[in-house]
Amino acid sequence: MAAGTVDRRDELDQDVVRFGTRLIAPRRGRALRDRLVTSLLDDQRLRDALFRVVDVAPACDTPEALAAHFRAFIDGTGGPRGRVASLARAGQRPIPQRTLGRLIEAGVRRVARRFIVAETVDAANRPLGRLWEAGVAVTVDLLGEASVSTPEADAYAARCGDALGSLAAAAEGWPERPLLDRDSVGRLSRVNLSIKPTALTPFVHPDAPERGYADLADRLRPLLRRARDLGAHLHVDMESVDTRELTLAVTLDLLAEPEFADGPSTGLVIQAYLRDSEDVLDHVLERVGGMGRSVPPTIRLVKGAYWDHETIKAIQHGWTPPVWSHKHESDRCFERLARRLVDAFPIVRPAIASHNVRSIADGVVYARRSGLGPADLEVQVLRGLGDDLAVAVAAEGVRVRTYCPVGDLVAGMGYLVRRLLENSSNESFLVTQKRGVPPSELLERP
Amino acid sequence: MNDFRNEPLLELRRSSERDQLVAALEVVDATLPIRVPVILRGERRDGTGFESVDPGDPDRVVALAAGATSDEAATAVEAAREAGMAWGRQPARDRANVLFRAAGELRRRRYELAALAVRECAKPWPEADADVCEAIDFLEYYASGAIELESGPELIQLPGERNTLQHRPRGVAAVIAPWNFPFAIAAGMTAAGLATGNAVCLKPAEQSPACALALVEALEAAGLPGGVLALLPGLGEVGAELVRNPGVHTIAFTGSGAVGLEIIGNAATVAPGQRHLKRVVAEMGGKNCVIIDADADLDDVVPALLASAFGFGGQKCSAASRALIHQQVFDGLSSRLRAALETLLVGPAETFGVDVPPLIERSSCDRVERMVTEAATEGAQVFRVEDVPEHGFFAAPTIVEGPAEGSPITREEIFGPVLTLEPVASVEAACELVEAQPYALTGGLFSRNPDVISEVVRRTPVGNLYVNRAITGAMVGRQPFGGNRLSGTGTKAGGPEYLLHFVEPVVVTENTVRHGLAL
Repeated sequence: MAAGTVDRRDELDQDVVRFGTRLIAPRRGRALRDRLVTSLLDDQRLRDALFRVVDVAPACDTPEALAAHFRAFIDGTGGPRGRVASLARAGQRPIPQRTLGRLIEAGVRRVARRFIVAETVDAANRPLGRLWEAGVAVTVDLLGEASVSTPEADAYAARCGDALGSLAAAAEGWPERPLLDRDSVGRLSRVNLSIKPTALTPFVHPDAPERGYADLADRLRPLLRRARDLGAHLHVDMESVDTRELTLAVTLDLLAEPEFADGPSTGLVIQAYLRDSEDVLDHVLERVGGMGRSVPPTIRLVKGAYWDHETIKAIQHGWTPPVWSHKHESDRCFERLARRLVDAFPIVRPAIASHNVRSIADGVVYARRSGLGPADLEVQVLRGLGDDLAVAVAAEGVRVRTYCPVGDLVAGMGYLVRRLLENSSNESFLVTQKRGVPPSELLERP
Repeated sequence: MNDFRNEPLLELRRSSERDQLVAALEVVDATLPIRVPVILRGERRDGTGFESVDPGDPDRVVALAAGATSDEAATAVEAAREAGMAWGRQPARDRANVLFRAAGELRRRRYELAALAVRECAKPWPEADADVCEAIDFLEYYASGAIELESGPELIQLPGERNTLQHRPRGVAAVIAPWNFPFAIAAGMTAAGLATGNAVCLKPAEQSPACALALVEALEAAGLPGGVLALLPGLGEVGAELVRNPGVHTIAFTGSGAVGLEIIGNAATVAPGQRHLKRVVAEMGGKNCVIIDADADLDDVVPALLASAFGFGGQKCSAASRALIHQQVFDGLSSRLRAALETLLVGPAETFGVDVPPLIERSSCDRVERMVTEAATEGAQVFRVEDVPEHGFFAAPTIVEGPAEGSPITREEIFGPVLTLEPVASVEAACELVEAQPYALTGGLFSRNPDVISEVVRRTPVGNLYVNRAITGAMVGRQPFGGNRLSGTGTKAGGPEYLLHFVEPVVVTENTVRHGLAL
């Protein structure tokens, strides 16, 4: 018995490695850039200075102000002697403040463009359409961090409503893509918008989720109606643990309301880096299972983007961090959860979001062996981080969706810094991959 | 002191913790009113001198206190002197063990005690819990500190002499405590005195006698010898007697500037027969400014300012009172702040998620109204939350934009939910405004430029400067707390030097040379 289990696991693992190896086949033209980025980010002090300059860029109203910050960051971090530092001090004649500021501005914009698809939804429609044509579905995230007041929450809700309309109009003209347009349950929405509860209500109190409940529900309900009328999908993002109780309560309660029994398509997020994420999934599956909605909700499985925040906050308060301490624990938890989501199909539609090829491959292989149709499991990646992976996954006949932030630099800065941190963390799969670690090691069981 | 760790706050984002607190409040409510006796020589005298009420529902009496008399205060000092002798001779480790056990007692009762602070002082749950935790921290931090202090610092030793520095208890410490941190500050000043071997006469604020009783009970349960700590719930004359009494050696006071200055003046008089100088450790008011530079992240500034100015109704000496905002971002920030002001919930302290609880007493509300009205008369724009409960001592959280230069609202401590917004031409100009103030307790700065930060750090006169965060919530051992100038005597509660104010140093130099030999 035991031997049989091991054999099956090994067999599955071999499939995972085979599939994963195809996904990480070498890509052309990126090696040099990757090496450069990796070497820049190897210098911790320079890395910190770069993050700080990206962070402050939108608050600097002149190139001079930006340059002054940059110089102060470089000096303040102990004066790295790398390429960029020498650029800042170039030669005998220092670069004029204004020129340096312009250079940095251009650099920051370049970085931002990699992660942020466009400043407005209207402007985003073209690149989104091109992705679709290339066989990659999208979900749009309107950038903007926390709303501190009712007018700000109202403005965000209005932007979301407008975005749904604009996207729906554009998506009508997109060509048929069977893998993206339907799974074995039925039709899938082409328009897919991800929304943030902390932007939808200023009343987020970790110690009193009830304070934000009605306010969030009242802004979410019209968006759900709009999405239903347009045939769009609305995905409620998950943020830090401080907002989890509120987010789950409101979303699950609204889904159970009779008016939404037949739509819209909606979704929630499960974060595998949380120690109690399996309990959360239990709770969600139990609630969803009892609703009898005709459109199953999509559950997006992620590792989670607030690891540092959760850890720092817990340590400062003397709490046990709610997140796993080690990356491999999150990775393992992700694989367990992915399998449970696959098993739960079609009560939920599983979507696994990761740039870790092992995590993706494990979920896809497991879904195939469980008899799910090719369109019944979705892979999600982030724009700017998972673009190559998206192409590779799509080429395997698996539906892939790219998470595309839209917005200006001021609103996007928090998002951008989080992505940069993620992209440069020593534990990150992408960084490990760029360092040239062989596929067999990258694809090891966590 | 390296093994000291702050007591973890309750993780109130978990509903199980909130449920326990709600249950504890029910238990506490069932025991009201709590009778608070005078405790002298370990004996209790009950009585009905005065009462404390629930600020959110003044019909509810929380404590019936005996009301100590001046004579009792004088007796308490004499009794403390006698009992203090033996206490002061105990090894620091033994005294520390009593304090450690008392901390454990508070920890065991923490839900109930937080509930008591909710009722008696209208502290919202997170702040009430933090108050209990800070009391635990003070007991443990000072207990450990006293053990370290006893071993003394190493002096320079040359052949033929042996030098030692010891710290002796000063004698009797009078602790005059405020109501706004009814556990933490009373516990801190009391624990510092006890840990270093002094006897203590504790006069709690008349608004919070029940919380003080719980602290004394914890120390009694921990095995503190009777008579080493007297509890004197009373009005002003009890404090006055303690300050005047020639048997008192140290006066630890936290409260208003006016009372503090009076104490310092009176304590300077040496009574006939008094053979020592009294030492005053005073924590007084503040007029705390937060400077916002043009490059600040306003997404962070708005919630931090709201929390600093309006949390617990602004009734913290560390609370933000003036926002000095770079003119480049003034309009944008002030409109966001005004809109965010509307999100504040004014309500009873026991409601989870309340931002602004009732103030401690009616006169506090009157003071707020008076100052806001005056500022409006002088031409400032006033923005307030309209929806404020009638019953109870509620005050509307208020933003005053563009107060007249030199207006009282920019100079006087309000101790209520009021924040003024003032545009400044530069961070430099803001520093000059701060520099001109007589108070120097806490301050804040929001800037992302390291050069600006280091310049403000260099110039600031305040005792506690917070950069890019809220300016309240100092933690024992991490942010030793206390102000300079007229904000206090420059002492740092929860810091490594605090205990030195409760001891007298004695240096002994012994000649070890006999017959030309260093023995």
